[in-house]
Amino acid sequence: MRPQKDKPPKAVEYVFGWVCKPEILEEILGDLEEYYSSLAEQPKWRKRLYYWFHALHFIRPFAVKRLEGTYRLNHYGMFKNYFKTSLRNMLKNPMSSFINVFGLAVAIAVCLVVYSFLDNDYSIDEFHENRHKIYLATFFVDREGVEEQYGTSPAPLAGALAEDFSQITKTCRVDDRPVVIKYQDKVFQERVRYVDPEFLEMLTFPLKWGHKNSLEDRSSIVLSEAMSEKYFGSRDPIGKDLKLNFGKGRMKTFKVSGVAEAFPVAHAIEFDFLINFENFRVSHPAYDLHDWRNTIRATLVQVEHASDMVAVNAGMEKYKRLQNEVEFDWTISQFEWVRLADLHFKSRFIKQDISHDSFYEGRVILPFIAIFMLVLACLNYINIAIVSATKRLKEIALRKVIGANRAKVAIQFLSENILVTSFAMIVGFLLAITMFLPWFVKTSSMDLELDISDLRLWLFLGSMIFATGIVSGLYPALYVSKFQVTAIFRGGVKFGRKNLLTKVFLGMQLILACTGVTGAIMFAQNSAYQETRSWGYEQDQVIYTGLHDPSAYHQLHRVMSQNPNVLSLAGSRDHLGATSSDVVLHLPKRDYEVQKIGVEANYFETLGIKLKKGRFFKANHQSDDTKLIINERLADNLAFEEPIGQVFRIDSGRYEIIGVVQDFHFSNFYYDVRPVVFKVAQPDEFRFLSMKVKEGSDLDIYRDLQKQWSLIFPEEPFMGGLQQDIWGMFYEDLDIQRNFMGNIAAVAVLLASLGLYGLITLNVSGRVKEFSIRKTLGAQRKNIAKNIIRQYAWLTGIALVTGAPVGYYLNQANLDLLFAYPKPDNYFGAIAAAMILLAILVMVVLMQVRKIARTNPIDGLRVE
Amino acid sequence: MLYKVGEITMSKEHLGELEELVLLLIVMLKEDAYGLAIRTALKEKASRNITIGAVHGTVNRLEKKGFVESTMGGASDIRGGRRKRIFTITAVGKGALERSQDVKVSLWQQIPELSLDVSR
Repeated sequence: MRPQKDKPPKAVEYVFGWVCKPEILEEILGDLEEYYSSLAEQPKWRKRLYYWFHALHFIRPFAVKRLEGTYRLNHYGMFKNYFKTSLRNMLKNPMSSFINVFGLAVAIAVCLVVYSFLDNDYSIDEFHENRHKIYLATFFVDREGVEEQYGTSPAPLAGALAEDFSQITKTCRVDDRPVVIKYQDKVFQERVRYVDPEFLEMLTFPLKWGHKNSLEDRSSIVLSEAMSEKYFGSRDPIGKDLKLNFGKGRMKTFKVSGVAEAFPVAHAIEFDFLINFENFRVSHPAYDLHDWRNTIRATLVQVEHASDMVAVNAGMEKYKRLQNEVEFDWTISQFEWVRLADLHFKSRFIKQDISHDSFYEGRVILPFIAIFMLVLACLNYINIAIVSATKRLKEIALRKVIGANRAKVAIQFLSENILVTSFAMIVGFLLAITMFLPWFVKTSSMDLELDISDLRLWLFLGSMIFATGIVSGLYPALYVSKFQVTAIFRGGVKFGRKNLLTKVFLGMQLILACTGVTGAIMFAQNSAYQETRSWGYEQDQVIYTGLHDPSAYHQLHRVMSQNPNVLSLAGSRDHLGATSSDVVLHLPKRDYEVQKIGVEANYFETLGIKLKKGRFFKANHQSDDTKLIINERLADNLAFEEPIGQVFRIDSGRYEIIGVVQDFHFSNFYYDVRPVVFKVAQPDEFRFLSMKVKEGSDLDIYRDLQKQWSLIFPEEPFMGGLQQDIWGMFYEDLDIQRNFMGNIAAVAVLLASLGLYGLITLNVSGRVKEFSIRKTLGAQRKNIAKNIIRQYAWLTGIALVTGAPVGYYLNQANLDLLFAYPKPDNYFGAIAAAMILLAILVMVVLMQVRKIARTNPIDGLRVE
Repeated sequence: MLYKVGEITMSKEHLGELEELVLLLIVMLKEDAYGLAIRTALKEKASRNITIGAVHGTVNRLEKKGFVESTMGGASDIRGGRRKRIFTITAVGKGALERSQDVKVSLWQQIPELSLDVSR
């Protein structure tokens, strides 16, 4: 290559052509290029670096065009003046500037937190490079006329697809099963994910150690970072042996062949352990993977182009037929392929899929809160801007006299606004990263952050400055610029006091604040209500433990029943709050999906489930094996006049209803009570042991159980707990909500009272002369108070009367969305909120009245 | 209202250290006194490594002060066909150089030899 061919980067030429003075452009570029070729011997990158270095050093006053020089920035000088005036004005009225900047800053900080939440939400699973090429098989099943979508699939589907469609480049089966893992003295109950070796190629989880294709080896195991930490600490565990116990004496030793990096914050699909799917034959030899009746957790396929899925979709009819020929409870009406890139957002509507969506509520509610705060702050700003413009009438008039037209004045006020918003943005950003975001992270335990190297964040900030600046400033700017010069100088313009819009804005502010406060009180009350709500059975004094093997039941039963504090003991296949299975009741005309709980006869007594009608199962009564006990919800739904004695078909057996029990909450109060059937479980099916104990002895018995367990089964992890703790995070969640809404309301009240304070103070100071005259003529403190209050009485009245019901309905809707059983008739919150705001208003007015009462009227009259 | 009017002060221009060096080099380089050449000369003769931009800034200042004049010189391929600006010293510039030297010489002469020996 000849050196002449090696030209310096063109970019410099363009940029210089734009910013550099034209008369010296030629010599500068000439010198730079000559310099560049003088570096001929150096490597290219270094030449470029030097070149850029020298080029950048030309950014000096002598070389850069004067801003005044170009036509477009002709107003530079004028803007400079606007800027100066704005700054002086802000410094002159520190109180209202503070309210403006601080109010907007708080709102912006809230918006930033919401932004970071949504940014995280929308980038979920984005790190999977093939997310646009991977599809999850889902199918629809008709349930009571409603098409339910499921994310599981028939076990043989993947194999059949790979054989039938050349378009499909990769397939992957996924299934999850519980397993006990042992490493040295560490024994834990875990869930292991069986996958085809393609899993890590399709879903590109970055690996910390090891190789992606290591799952080809059937005795390899890949760990998540958290699991690697749990078993091996921070050491590299590659090559270490883990012993997996699949139950029923089936064991296999695996070699660690890979460890995934810590999952990115924005992920929905995850795993603890991955092993080759073929191990299923070792752990579940009886499970026929070629039987269309059997389902696995998920089937994923990868294609090269989205258009390839058209053919696949068209060919699904065949599998539907295959499945429906053998399986009658799960008659598939249709298959659907869901792209991995869309899965997270659809996940809420797909049952049992491998993804999950825990952000739905946040995605719905948080943007509202952000907009709510921003509107509140903007209203504040508009009000204060209009009122404080009274003090600047003469300035406006003077500008008009020396030639400014209305547009110029409006632009002045708008640019001033952008300045205030920019200040607010800086303060808001600092508030967000130092206070709001850490708080949000703490309460929501989502690991969010604002990444300042992210271009999107800066775009967001920029557009927010612009949007809030224009929204909050447009009306004041247009309003203020309207006045006629002569009217101002004659003193004929009076405004701020009787402006209808100011009142409307203040009213809206009060309504918004009222909604916020109502929400906080309603959430707090709802939390208290949920805490005292009955579970429908006696969850206290009940201790349960999961069993690794049905035989463990007898061993534990023997030792624990000797304890005099144990009142009753029951084995069960399923357990309230832990597991159940879904079965389909066949009625003459329709099918009905219910939750099945398999129990021993005295399970009802142990858990304190109350009988409504009929009878419980009798112990050791063979004939009860074909009987069912149902809950009230199911009895209501089936709508038989007399449910007892009715007979149903489940799978291939016929069952008769012998009892109805009172409704109880299987899961926490987010979920509605579901229709339930109880069936007798045989001792060889037992997976749980429950105990009712004497009051006050629960902790002792729990410790005793734990001790006995470690004596009898030293190799097995203990899986027990107190029944009252079985809902885990639910009560903590309630606290978080109460805390969260409380803080939101505090910010709303803060903003509203700042606005009120600013507005009333400005208003009163505009009427100083009037009040001084009133005082000289003998007006008392209460007369003046009456006078001010009268001005706001109607407004406040109307605002609160509308605000309270609006707040009530909005928040009730919100609670209905979250909870299956929100606190009914929760009116107190709305009333209390109205009272709080009224109190704030009265307090602000009284403060002003006190100030007027204390000043000498002469000082007030001497103003100007 | 009183506004501060930017006034043009053209009192006796003083010559900075870098300016003096550049001015001397312009005299020395004669017809070849343009930006990059001055920079190279500064580096070789005075061991001063500064950017091209800084050189341009300095000659620009010198021109404003009236110490140098400039004309556009020949273009060459190596510069991408662009011309260079050749600087020549003016009478004022020459005067400034002489004055600067005079001041220094007279100062040097007023210093007793011993007081310079700071190491002792």
